[in-house]
Parts: sequence; structure tokens; C-alpha cells
Amino acid sequence: MSSQALRVDPKTQLFEDDFAANSADLPGAGLSWLDSRRVLAMESFAATGVPTRRMEAWKYTDLAGALDGELEPATLFRADTAATTTDVFADLPGTRVVLMNGFLHYIGGTALTDDIDIVDLTQLSARTPEWVRLYLGTGPTGGGPGLGTASLALMRGGIAVRVRAGAQGLSPLHLRFINPSRSQPLMCHSRVLIVLEEDAQLDLLESHSGVTSEQVLANLGVEFVLKKNARLNQIRVQEEGTHTLHITSLDARVAGGAHYQSLLVNLGAHLSRVDMNVRLEEPLASVGIRAATVLGGEAAADVTTIVDHAAPHTKSRQLFKSVVGGRAKAVSQGRVTVRKGAVKSDSHQMFKALLLAPRAEADAKPELEIFADDVVCGHGTAIGALDEDALFYLRSRGILAAEARQMMVRAFLEDAIGEGTSEAIHDAIWARIDAAMTNVEDVP
Amino acid sequence: MLEIQDLHVRVDGKEILKGLTLSVPTGEVHAVMGPNGSGKSTLSYTLAGREGYEIVSGKILFNGEDLAPLSSDARAARGVFLAMQYPVEIPGVTTINFLKTALNAQRRARNESELDALRVLKLVREKAKALNVPEEMLRRALNVGFSGGEKKRLEVLQMSLFEPKLAVLDETDSGLDIDALRMIAESVNAMRGPSRTMLVITHYQRLLTYIVPNRIHVLASGRIVKSGGPELALVLEEKGYEHLIGEPA
Ligand SMILES: Nc1ncnc2c1ncn2[C@@H]1O[C@H](COP(=O)(O)OP(=O)(O)O)[C@@H](O)[C@H]1O
Ligand SMILES: [Mg+2]
Repeated sequence: MSSQALRVDPKTQLFEDDFAANSADLPGAGLSWLDSRRVLAMESFAATGVPTRRMEAWKYTDLAGALDGELEPATLFRADTAATTTDVFADLPGTRVVLMNGFLHYIGGTALTDDIDIVDLTQLSARTPEWVRLYLGTGPTGGGPGLGTASLALMRGGIAVRVRAGAQGLSPLHLRFINPSRSQPLMCHSRVLIVLEEDAQLDLLESHSGVTSEQVLANLGVEFVLKKNARLNQIRVQEEGTHTLHITSLDARVAGGAHYQSLLVNLGAHLSRVDMNVRLEEPLASVGIRAATVLGGEAAADVTTIVDHAAPHTKSRQLFKSVVGGRAKAVSQGRVTVRKGAVKSDSHQMFKALLLAPRAEADAKPELEIFADDVVCGHGTAIGALDEDALFYLRSRGILAAEARQMMVRAFLEDAIGEGTSEAIHDAIWARIDAAMTNVEDVP
Repeated sequence: MLEIQDLHVRVDGKEILKGLTLSVPTGEVHAVMGPNGSGKSTLSYTLAGREGYEIVSGKILFNGEDLAPLSSDARAARGVFLAMQYPVEIPGVTTINFLKTALNAQRRARNESELDALRVLKLVREKAKALNVPEEMLRRALNVGFSGGEKKRLEVLQMSLFEPKLAVLDETDSGLDIDALRMIAESVNAMRGPSRTMLVITHYQRLLTYIVPNRIHVLASGRIVKSGGPELALVLEEKGYEHLIGEPA
């Protein structure tokens, strides 16, 4: 903290001021386990501050530059959510949870069974269940500089979910995040904790949206804890408003035999960054990450992952696909670490981008750190424009230019979206991608 | 009626067609023959409206309408079809889905009702049978991993599916064995009719024993240097292009 006095950084100051002024009123204030985690998190955040492009992990994404200096902390807001944005997964069954500016707003849909517990993080108290206390804010929050620590230190709301041991065949859990701006620029710091006990399985359908007229910083910290042989299938569609800075810092801890599958569909926001830190902790833990980004205008989207093979016989598969038009920018960074002794680790990363406009940008950065023998680690990168020959072929058959481009974009993204999703989910996602594509095409 | 008048076409700043004049009356099949590099594919791409094929001067009229200002999709909707010398592979787009999308795009542009998936499948199956195209091929990605012969058969299948008014076949015979050649010739011959105009582009005379054209034009260095009846193919077979190039048409 000694450097603090020397630094003149109003962006970081914004967070520190919020903490100084409001920490005594934050949810769960006075609970010693939480107070100490918040203080530690704030110290850790202050040590690096709001990331700038001078930091290696943020060299492509200018968060400090994009951040408004006048953000007010969001407060609990009761409003009609139905009218604001399209619910991506409206036609799919499941338990529906709506979070508004980071606050739990609504729980409905399929009735909750005994297999799932949900805790509102605004209601933390001495009676909060043990499992929340055990895990909330204990992950390494991001794995590098970022806003993950701030999302804990300044947490205003969010939810914790636990799926009981052996619970399978549950209807999906929908987490619908709506982050509208109101009359003033807002910052929303919230957390999600999901614990899957041994052999539990969960489908998580996550959407992020919001109509904005002012800047909204949606700063979300996520922790997933997968115990032995658990399976989490996360499908996430991010179509935040045009003024939104969407930052998600996600930590997943994957125990032996457990599998974490994640599909990140990034379609919106002014700037988005998903920092994913996945630790494969025990033998036979595995993770599959697929990111599909479709951007136009001046938007920027960044998916940065760290996959840590901390045990032998662990497996990771990552596929990053970006379609970029206008002057947009898609960044994909993936670091795979294989620790000493993590023999028979098996990892693969593939980065592909399709540039639809001369000023569109895609950056891909694979990184490998291998400290074990007898491992298989591969990666590949391909960035290019639409195949003009193919485009002409389709058009010569009567297919209009826009439709031909759309066919080729679909073909490009299909393996990222298609595999492992049900037809209904697949259709829901494609409906949003098609909508996003029309915006991408609109702006030259 | 296709009328090409004194056509000059530039590609990447280089003039490739240098005053090409050619007319094909409606209902006729004409052949364009020429050595490699003479501009055959350039002519076919120009007819199909490929971007980058810049018409410097001259005219292309089809049934009286100037094709130059029309995009390639608009030309397709008006009945222009090009069977390409090198059909393009498009990963991720299944052949049957492509055929359906293309057929309906053309119909939509002509204000005709779109056909549902079942109708299209039925139509395509019919055409596929005549060309010995296996059903399994239709479910694969467009042209991906198809043999040379399979690609060419799919081009001809498209021609019979779209029923164009002007069909241009660019070296559809190259790389085919004799059985495939016969089959393709049969499909082409079946499509000859009083309201269809066809331009068969080839390097070899072989195809023209199966598809007997009304007239043959010899293309060399971007110009038609000689035109004649079907017997011209035999002269070329015997004496080669050499003796024609050099002496003016
Ligand atoms: N994109 C291009 N840029 C420059 N020259 C080209 C291009 N495409 C073709 N050519 C040239 O134009 C001439 C005619 O080519 P092409 O029409 O393909 O001939 P053919 O089909 O008769 O073999 C050749 O000399 C070839 O090298
Ligand atoms: Mg050619």
C-alpha cells in the first residue's frame, strides 16, 4: 500500500473511495470472515489498480481508457424487467433467476427442488450457510490484474448456488443479468458462486443484456467449484448495451473426474473482457472452453483464459472463434500451464478469426508453460478475411451478398456453437447471432 | 440471344479480353475453344459478373438487356448460370442446404413462391439420379473433399436444377473419364431447347462429339480468331491451335 500515495490514478481512486466510504454498509459487513476477505481483495486490487495497456495481460484491451471517472455505485432497483431486453432463453424451461444491476431481482420458472439451494448475497448474515462461507471469495479471482478482486471487495449483491451431491437431470438454471443504465453512469459489483457437490450436474444458461444511455460498468466475479465427478455445462450469451463495460472474472476449480464445459457467446457491450482462470486440480479433471464472438461498430471483446493443469491426466480443449466487422476488435488470449508432475496432460487451443472489414481487428495470443514431461499440448491460429472465391460462388448462384456472408459466418462459427448444445439452445443462440450479424453488416 | 460486342476486360490492371465479339442466338449451343491462357475463364467470369473483372469497353447484351450493371446474384436471378472450371469448396455449408438456399434466392428475386425443404429434396434427388450423384454427397459440405468428377457433376446438377436461360460451361469436361463425360453430355443435351442459350467452353474437342454445337468459335489472346460449324472441331483436333493463331479470323 506504500505506493498508493505516489499514484495519481483517478480511475483506481474511484474504487478505493467507494470502499472507504461504504465498506461498513456493504452486505455482510461485520461478518469477520467476509470483512477480512474484502479487505485483502481491496489491497490486492489497489496494488495493481485498474488495468492499463502497459500490463502484458491487458495490452490489447484499454479498460482504464474506456472507464468513466464518474461512476456511481448501483443501488437496489425495482423495475419491470420484461420490457427492457429480449430474453435469449425465453423458450427454454428451467429455474429463472434475474439479477438487475447485480442485485437478485426475481426467482421463478420451474420450482426449485431440494437439490438446489440459492442464497441472495445481499442477505449475508451469521445464519448464512456454511458452504457459502467456505467458498465465497476464496478463489484466486482472475489470475492476474483485473477487476475480480474489486468485485469481491465492493460486492453489492449476487447469488450463491449449491447443487446437492448426486443431483442430476435438473432443469436448467437460467441466470439473466440485466444491466441497464439509468440517469447516471453506474458501476455494479456483484458475485456469483456455484458449488457442485460430488456427482452433481447442472446446465447453466446465462445471459447478459441491458439498454444503456450512460456508461455501466458491470463487474462480475464468478466462482465455480466442481467437486469430484461433477459436470457443469455453462452457456452464456453476452449482449450488453452499447455503453456497457462488461468485466467478468471467473475462477473454476475442477476436482477429479469433473468436467467444466463453457460456451461464451460475445455479441454486445462497448467493451467486454472475460478473464477465466480454470484450475484442473486432480487427475481426470477436464475443461472445454469455446468462445464465439461476433462484433461490429467500435466494440471490443476480450476473452482471456488461464488453464492450469495442476494434476496428471487432465485435459483441456479451447476453441476461440471471432467474426469482426466495422472497426471492432476481438482479442483471444489463452495461457495453458502444465505443472511439474502433471504428466499425461492433454491440451489444445485453436484461435480463428474472420475479418469482415478492412479496419476490423483480431488478436490471438496462445501461451504455453510446460513444467512436466510426457504431455500433449497443441495450438493453432488462423486469422483471415472471408473467402472471396466462396462468396462469388454463392452469389453466382443467386444468393444475395448479405445472405452469402451470413452463410459463411454460420459455417465458420458452427463448430463453436453446435457441438454439445441441444437444438433448442442452438436455435436460441443462432437467433441472437443472426441479429448481431445485421448490426455488424450495417457498419462498414 | 447473347451478344458480346467488342468486349475489353481488365483483370488486376491487365487487359485479358481484347475486343471479343460473339453472338449466340436463343436456342443454340455454341462452343468456345482455345488454348490455355487464351481468356476462356475470364470470359466466363465476366459473363457471371465476378467482381474485379472490369469491362473497359464493349457490351454484353442478353435478350437485349445490358448485363454489365448487374451483380452476379441479379444475373443468376435473370437466368445466367456458370458451371465453373474450379468449383469452390465451402466448409460448413451442406450441399443440400446450399442448393435449397440458392434455388429459393433465385425464385424470391423473380417473385416466385419459395419451395419447402421437401420439395427441393425431391427435385434434387431426381436430378442427382440422372447424374449418378449419391445422396450421401448432398449431405456433405459443398464440394469439400469431392473428387474432380464429383464437383463437375454437381455443377451440372445445379444447371438442371436452376434451369437457366443462359448456361455457360467452363471446361466442365476437364478431368472427367469417358463415362462421366457421357453422363454430363446427356444432361446438357437434355437441357437444349428453344428458349435456352448455351456456351460450352472447352480446351479439347472430345466433349463436342457428345454435345454437337451449332457453331464453334476459337479464342486466342482474348479475341475470337475463327468461327465455323461443328466440323471446325475436327480441324482443330487434327492441326491443333497453332496454325490458327497467327492467321487472322
Ligand atoms: N487475376 C488475374 N490477374 C492477372 N492475370 C490473370 C488473372 N487471371 C487470369 N489471368 C491471366 O489471364 C489470361 C487468361 O486466363 P484465363 O481466362 O484463366 O484463361 P483460360 O481459361 O483460357 O485458360 C492468362 O494469361 C492468365 O495468366
Ligand atoms: Mg480456364
